[in-house]
Amino acid sequence: MLAVVAPAVAADTPASRPDLSGVWEVTMGVRTRPGPGMPEQPSLTPEYAQKLADFKAAQARGDFQETPQANCVPPGMPGIMNQPYPMELLFTPGKVTIIIEAYSQTRRIFMDGRKHPDDPDLTYNGHSIGRWDGDTLVVDSVGFTPDTALGPSQGYRHSDQMHIVERFRLTAPDIMEVVTTIDDPKVLTKPITATKVLRRHPDWDIAEYICEQNNRNLSDDKGKAGIILNH
Amino acid sequence: MKPNATRIRNGALWLTLAALPTAVLAHHSYAMFDMSQTVTLQGTIRDFQWTNPHSWIWIDVPNDKGTAEQWGIEGMSPNYLARRGWSKHTLKPGDKVSVLIHPLKGTERGGSFLSVTLADGSVMRQSGGPPPPASSAP
Repeated sequence: MLAVVAPAVAADTPASRPDLSGVWEVTMGVRTRPGPGMPEQPSLTPEYAQKLADFKAAQARGDFQETPQANCVPPGMPGIMNQPYPMELLFTPGKVTIIIEAYSQTRRIFMDGRKHPDDPDLTYNGHSIGRWDGDTLVVDSVGFTPDTALGPSQGYRHSDQMHIVERFRLTAPDIMEVVTTIDDPKVLTKPITATKVLRRHPDWDIAEYICEQNNRNLSDDKGKAGIILNH
Repeated sequence: MKPNATRIRNGALWLTLAALPTAVLAHHSYAMFDMSQTVTLQGTIRDFQWTNPHSWIWIDVPNDKGTAEQWGIEGMSPNYLARRGWSKHTLKPGDKVSVLIHPLKGTERGGSFLSVTLADGSVMRQSGGPPPPASSAP
């Protein structure tokens, strides 16, 4: 007779929670709804307001028209979660894995009760730990390299203190809402929150995305855009 | 419906930072294209590159001297297009087509893809797939 072995992380097995697994895409038509108290613009500390002003002045001179993504550098968090390509959520014991098609990125969300490292290495997608709050998957992430931008405009920077909390929950069988709250004591005088809606596509698979395959776009060291047309 | 990329770029809305997906912002900006201009190219497909991060349509377009000039037209990736009714066979060398583009700023012969009209009259757009069922809209 087989011995009964207790699962290592019985409290957080997917069976007891809403099924958020599968391939999801951020909806383009519905886009997003501002969360409660969502500011039209972020409230920046003086240091980062100056960085933004300097960036805009350079942009007015023709610099920084392009982002590093033109050179196939992934955007990192939070931008990597807002791409026009799907992502797949995988639930395995003690871990949620998000496979993001764009730039072939992977996020690992540790559900085994561990804490963030005291002194995390700084990475594009950060260090993520998760837990269930009722029917909501709550993901807490830190440890981001300040090399990446806070948003599509490279003028909005974040620091190594950026902290992101994402709350994933089903609002309909194949509709998932993600509420993202970002704080950064060096950059933001108050947190920002935004809500996006994703649709599950049961008939989709994540496809290969090798950005370097045939990239004809480029961004030079001043952020000037270029294009390669020889063929 | 085509993603309203232009509005997002020009608006530079803070909302885009945390939540908005846009096709153009996935990989690069529209800085190099003249988004105020729309040009129709009529010609013959030389090659259709079904590649990441962008598909590329290479088309020979006769100029007013009767000489073919090659244009390179950048579109969304195969990943995006394949989910919206396209395949690597949608365009093939020799096809006579009409392509609507936003041209590059300056004099280089290139542009950003808007739509293509095939020889049989059918029109393919980047978001050309069928709309999602109304019942599943959030």
